Amino acid sequence: MVKGKLGKYSRSVSIIGIGATPFCDTSEIPEYRGLTEGEFFGHAALMAMEDAGLEPRDVDYFYHGSANPKFFNNAATPNMQVAEWFGMRGKGSIHHSEACCSGYVGLEEAVMDVASGAHDIVLSGCVEMSCGLPVAGKPAHIRRPITTDEMIPDLEAIMDRAYTRALGGGHIGQDDWMDLYRQQYGLTDDQIDLVLNTMSYHGRRAAALNPLAMLRTPFEELAKEAGYDDPMEYLSSPFNPKTTMYLRVTGNAQSADGAACCIVCPTEMAHKFKQKPVEILGIGSSCLELMRPHNEMEITKEAARQAYEQTGLTPDDIDLLLVNDFVLASQLCAAEEVGYLPRGEGWKWVLEGRTAFDGDRPINPHGGRTSYGHAYGASGMADVYEAVLQLRGQAGLHQVKNNPKTAMLRGFGGGQNCRIPILRVLD
Amino acid sequence: MMKIEKVVAKFYEGLEQHKLLGRKCPECGAIEYPPRYACNTCGYHATEWVELSGKGMLHSVITPATLNADPWNDKIGPYCYGLVELEEGPMFNCTVFGIKRKQAKLLRDKLPIPVHAIFAERDGFTTVFFEVDELPK
Repeated sequence: MVKGKLGKYSRSVSIIGIGATPFCDTSEIPEYRGLTEGEFFGHAALMAMEDAGLEPRDVDYFYHGSANPKFFNNAATPNMQVAEWFGMRGKGSIHHSEACCSGYVGLEEAVMDVASGAHDIVLSGCVEMSCGLPVAGKPAHIRRPITTDEMIPDLEAIMDRAYTRALGGGHIGQDDWMDLYRQQYGLTDDQIDLVLNTMSYHGRRAAALNPLAMLRTPFEELAKEAGYDDPMEYLSSPFNPKTTMYLRVTGNAQSADGAACCIVCPTEMAHKFKQKPVEILGIGSSCLELMRPHNEMEITKEAARQAYEQTGLTPDDIDLLLVNDFVLASQLCAAEEVGYLPRGEGWKWVLEGRTAFDGDRPINPHGGRTSYGHAYGASGMADVYEAVLQLRGQAGLHQVKNNPKTAMLRGFGGGQNCRIPILRVLD
Repeated sequence: MMKIEKVVAKFYEGLEQHKLLGRKCPECGAIEYPPRYACNTCGYHATEWVELSGKGMLHSVITPATLNADPWNDKIGPYCYGLVELEEGPMFNCTVFGIKRKQAKLLRDKLPIPVHAIFAERDGFTTVFFEVDELPK
């Protein structure tokens, strides 16, 4: 692969407002049933403006991200189809789509925009209604359930069409990094299973305390219903079967409907608004196609290298890590790759509960994709929302305990895009 | 008129003749596989056609399951996914035949093991997979 270089921004940029809908299946909740992409995005956008103390007229430009607007929303112009929901008729906007990395790319786009001087107040939002499909000829509030038979072929769209799909090179991603970790550090299959189930367990503990999370029933309760006293025994039981070589059902992301937004401005202006600003110190970036060896590891390594070099920070400076863990194993593997956990030892830290939301090295305190839910293109922005909430100390019951000042996000999506932002709360 | 070189079509024409084609960087010598215009090892703008042996080593074995199985592959035989390194250098993920699921875990300690290219007709085009030369005892 060919490596990149990340320079300093022309002016510093900070997050001044955040907003998010709950992650949920709108069709299952009467008060949400029939809500549309425009309403979800609009709600998150207006919430972010309210958070900052802004009106729509104050925002100069917006970015719209979603993983697959044609499939889930039958829209080729999705930014135009949400703009009027939050009072930005006539203002400039753009849509971008980088699969499940869209949210982190949305942050990067907004930061580069403001850093360039083009605009002062920029909103970046993402939405995905992943639990259903549009119905041909019907308005947006009428949706139908999605089936696995419709979903699986569409997932192929993330793979290169010239070669990867035809040559069978795109199916390794769920297990590849965990398998390499096993090879490198000599874990047994049972140890891997225990580590993954422990992550599931702690993710659910956090999600149970998070009003925005989708799966909030603690494993203690689910275990009891299935006739087990011990939630860990339940997690390794046939009630939670393997879906890949290493991942059980609880190791895969739960599809969700959801939207999230943030608003950024030059740091020099950021103290005028309602909240403590959160500065974006740098965003490393790397992408590798699915056929490339250990691609998730390689791009995580490269994007982290860029972010550390540009900011001058080291892993010791990072107090909180958010990882796109739609493949649960990534929590551990990525945390070690970016230096947040010691190499080859991280799995023991997981087993000791140190990476839980109330541990001393917290990862994904919102619950992670497998419990918080995964609204594809919107999930990365929901990570930004969570990181800002935690850095401000506003996360409530699932607030991490180590008083974090600096957070790293390991953004990943489409099996091949990586962004690694480092955020720091300002006094 | 500037000529726009056909690379994808030529690669698949090669597969029809059971030839595996890649491209070599004239500057750093790295092989691009599957073939593309530019070198992704050193970032040079050009590459040149080269025929590859199809021989390589398998470095990992991932068994397919509910979420990542490709039922079409069952027509050829038992398969896994894995990382292959061709003897000319390029490394890539692909589908590897000749490994039953039960054998996969036993193979872990024997890796890397030699593999070779096999060609398969699929819905109007020829594709390439890999197959283990022989399973280690």
